Amino acid sequence: MPNQAAGAVRVHRRRKFGLSPLAVALVLPGVVLAILFKLMPLVHALWLSLLRTRGFEDPTFAGLRNYYSAFRDPVVAQAFRNAIMVFLTLPVWIFLPLIIALLLFQRTPGWKFFRAVYFLPYMIAPVVVGIMFRQILAPEGPLNALLIAIGLSPLAIEWLNGPNSALFSLTSVALWSFFGLGVLTYLSGLATVPQDIVEAARLDGAGFFRLLVSVAMPLIRPVIGYWTVLCMSSMLIWMFPLIYALTRGGPGSATMLPEYLVFTTTFEFLNRGKGAAIGMALFVFAALVSAFVVRRMYREGTGRSS
Amino acid sequence: MSSVWNFSITRRHLQAGCAAAALALSSIGMAMPASAQDVTTIKVLNWQPGGPDYWAALVKAFEAENPDVKVELETVPFDRYPEVQGPYIATKSGPDVMENNSGLELYDRRSAYIPLPADLVKSAGSDLITYSGGCLNFDASQACYGLPFGYQGNVMYYNKKVLKEAGLDPQNPPKTWDEMDKACKAVAAIGKTCLAHGMTGVFPAYWNFPEIARNYLSEDDMRAVLAGDMPWTDPKMKSILEAMASIGKRGWINSNSPSISMLPDGADIFSSGKAAFASTIIADAVNWQAFGAALGDENVGAMRWPVLVPDAPLANSFSGVESSVFGVTSWSTKQEAGLKFVKFIAGKKNGDLLISVGGGIPLNKNVDTTLFPKSEALAQIREIIKKPTLHVGVLLSGQEADALARGWQEVTLGRISVDDWVARMQVALEESPGKTKE
Amino acid sequence: MSAAAIQLRRPGPSGRMLRSLARWLVTFALVVVAVGALYPLLFTIINSLKSRVAYAQSPLGLPANITFENYLETFSRIHVPRLLFNSIVTTAGGLVLSTVAALFIAYAVTKLRMPGGNLVFLFIISMLVIPSQVVIYPLYDTILSLGFGGTYQGLILAYAAFGLPMSTYLLVAYFRAIPDELIEAARLDGAGDMRILFQVLLPVSTPAIAALSILNFVWMWNDLLLPLVIMGGSGNTTLMVGVALLSGQYDVSIPLISAGLIVALLPVMIVYLVFQRQILNGAIAGAVR
Repeated sequence: MPNQAAGAVRVHRRRKFGLSPLAVALVLPGVVLAILFKLMPLVHALWLSLLRTRGFEDPTFAGLRNYYSAFRDPVVAQAFRNAIMVFLTLPVWIFLPLIIALLLFQRTPGWKFFRAVYFLPYMIAPVVVGIMFRQILAPEGPLNALLIAIGLSPLAIEWLNGPNSALFSLTSVALWSFFGLGVLTYLSGLATVPQDIVEAARLDGAGFFRLLVSVAMPLIRPVIGYWTVLCMSSMLIWMFPLIYALTRGGPGSATMLPEYLVFTTTFEFLNRGKGAAIGMALFVFAALVSAFVVRRMYREGTGRSS
Repeated sequence: MSSVWNFSITRRHLQAGCAAAALALSSIGMAMPASAQDVTTIKVLNWQPGGPDYWAALVKAFEAENPDVKVELETVPFDRYPEVQGPYIATKSGPDVMENNSGLELYDRRSAYIPLPADLVKSAGSDLITYSGGCLNFDASQACYGLPFGYQGNVMYYNKKVLKEAGLDPQNPPKTWDEMDKACKAVAAIGKTCLAHGMTGVFPAYWNFPEIARNYLSEDDMRAVLAGDMPWTDPKMKSILEAMASIGKRGWINSNSPSISMLPDGADIFSSGKAAFASTIIADAVNWQAFGAALGDENVGAMRWPVLVPDAPLANSFSGVESSVFGVTSWSTKQEAGLKFVKFIAGKKNGDLLISVGGGIPLNKNVDTTLFPKSEALAQIREIIKKPTLHVGVLLSGQEADALARGWQEVTLGRISVDDWVARMQVALEESPGKTKE
Repeated sequence: MSAAAIQLRRPGPSGRMLRSLARWLVTFALVVVAVGALYPLLFTIINSLKSRVAYAQSPLGLPANITFENYLETFSRIHVPRLLFNSIVTTAGGLVLSTVAALFIAYAVTKLRMPGGNLVFLFIISMLVIPSQVVIYPLYDTILSLGFGGTYQGLILAYAAFGLPMSTYLLVAYFRAIPDELIEAARLDGAGDMRILFQVLLPVSTPAIAALSILNFVWMWNDLLLPLVIMGGSGNTTLMVGVALLSGQYDVSIPLISAGLIVALLPVMIVYLVFQRQILNGAIAGAVR
């Protein structure tokens, strides 16, 4: 690295950056990992999606037949519709942990305890979460008993039986097990906010929501952005084991999501070609959904000032 | 520790001749790498049907009988089995012996197995009540890919105490759907569930469908289902779905049935004494034994599903199926040793172990029946299984079983009609890779 | 900090009644959320202490008789110490490897400003949305051809690859926010790239590292698909796979599974309790800077 000394001399100017061997060497391990275990399998899956697979017999080329079959399949359509419905709850996923984090951030008595407790659900394996909520959400289960006891009997519905309520319940359960991570994420973001700014706002007599909207949110925008990306990329993945443990996509296909459909099509129906086609559609769908956020994050990450 | 090992070796020396002793030594396996070439180690992919104790006993007994073969179990949780087995088959690598459910599940994977030698099938098969589920098209005269060991199927368990409470005769449980309907009304009157049930997953479709199908289908019809030659639009098939749909409409089942699983939720309702009936399997788990332990043996009875069409020829038969079959993989380099294991699986010794350790009902006819525990429900079951017929559940493709399960949920919730369900089943049939013809 | 707390408690001119009412409401809401969050763990612990019959009779109630039979059964059925060791090795390996790989990329992309760095970044994070079920067959193929079937290396590499996008994403975003002056100053002191990365940037990035470690730790520890496929039925499989084996084809005992899950969760809880303080310290260090 001879130009390092030169760089030190020219330190007041901007350092010149080129494609140094060091940079390549640093990037290499990650890129190799991604290519070997993600990209190559993905390309392979793309190829698979163009094949007609009958069980484990040798596949034959099928062109776009799997895609055609997937587009015609009402369950596929419903799975993606459900995925969109789940994505529409994103604001709740973003702001609920933020509000809780801000409440804790104000040093509510016992906030350390709360923070520790809120994170617990995230660590509990989804299979337990599924078992538990099957009991809790049963028509005669404790949730409905509670609702009836406090006079909210119209809300005591069949949570997991209804076409809309099942997906709603499942999304809520997913949020329930995920929100603690958000609280933690926001708290570490909020910790970078200088206390005196918060104090100044407080002394101004700023209410909680003004504190939230005009003080905290602008200051931790990168954290919000990060959490948004994390939610968007994890929501569907996160829900897979819950669906597996809780509803298996049912009743009917009410809680069917693309990820789960890929699983059933590939492993239970042994239709690997069509499973790969649905997987490709999911890849494009997820990429489209996240693209906007990722671009925004770029701007914020590189931007001189936003 | 090593002294114990030495001791056992010494005993083996005393018991057997020198040649056998060398084999016995090597059967201790890894401890004696020097003699490893005399021992073939086979890997057996399985999901431990009958439980870990039974499998430990099975391996021990097999290795004692075959000192030149050592078994390494690759045990995978049942519900994740396809995810492990799929890559093995796709890459043609991995275990020497594998387990699959008999019927279509096995046929779909038959490229992974060798056809068993005819003499093995003949000699081992002659001792079995049935083994056709391991053979092509449920036809023992065609290629067989695996041999079974246990018998499986559904019965209706009933809680005599609940029946008595409801003013019914526990010695005379309902035999027809009309009687069942009356019984359910009486059970509902005492605030209990009539038929404990959970519809999530393919379990209920897989196991309850045949119980009703028997009222409408002949064995030839069932073979047509397997071949994909029986459309779901056929009136017989439609009648089956209509009967299934009516179970919910008649109010026999618990209201959360569409959103809970039968195992364990549905079975737990019955175990807790809150239900009069439950339809589950005869062996392995959630059976007479488990219910007897929870409710008292004297309170549990087992019966055939009530009959819908009294004069149907198969209405009073038992839809039995080989619980699972074991075959030798096509890529294995140790097929000889693998075949020994498959032979052992179907044998009497394993059958005895299945009764005494695995809590199962073996298919081998020569087993020691005195090993069976004393249980009235088990005695009833052993009577019921004497008239076997095909099990339509295992003739369904993955798609069909899935569509059947989801359709049952939705039709029970009143969201689709039986005609919608029929249409979906037909689509599922047409999409099934194993059943469509080019 | 205590000064801040005192300031916060200073009553506003609008009266302390309103303020304390609001405070009580907030605390009440937080307690409700806490109860909801704590419930699953209690549910699991309580059920792990019930017999199977007792669970069937009262799934949500307290056990009448406490039994440890499920724990004994867990330990007799699965080889807990060995599987625990496997889990620790593979999770730690995957965690370290993905973090280091991500640190390298983040440094090269943000601080060395390598040409095409953003493309590399985009490439890595776009791998995030590949559903693992779609790629599992070819992934297994890759593992096999590397000769890593059934080995720690195989699972560690796969964990690292699947954890990489999020780690990279988080670290790149974090590094971008660190002023270049910090690096220039270190460079003036004669620090090399590795020293800058590990002694200057790494300490500053503790909150980010902590966050991504938790993220990766939890899913790697709980994951089933990758260890199942890569380890098959070998003895190198993980604790979670062992716990999954506690339920058979037809035999699903919730008390037994609960006990198994508590056993599997215990190490996580310990790590969490230890780790939690570090996150806090890291966060404060970040705030002070």
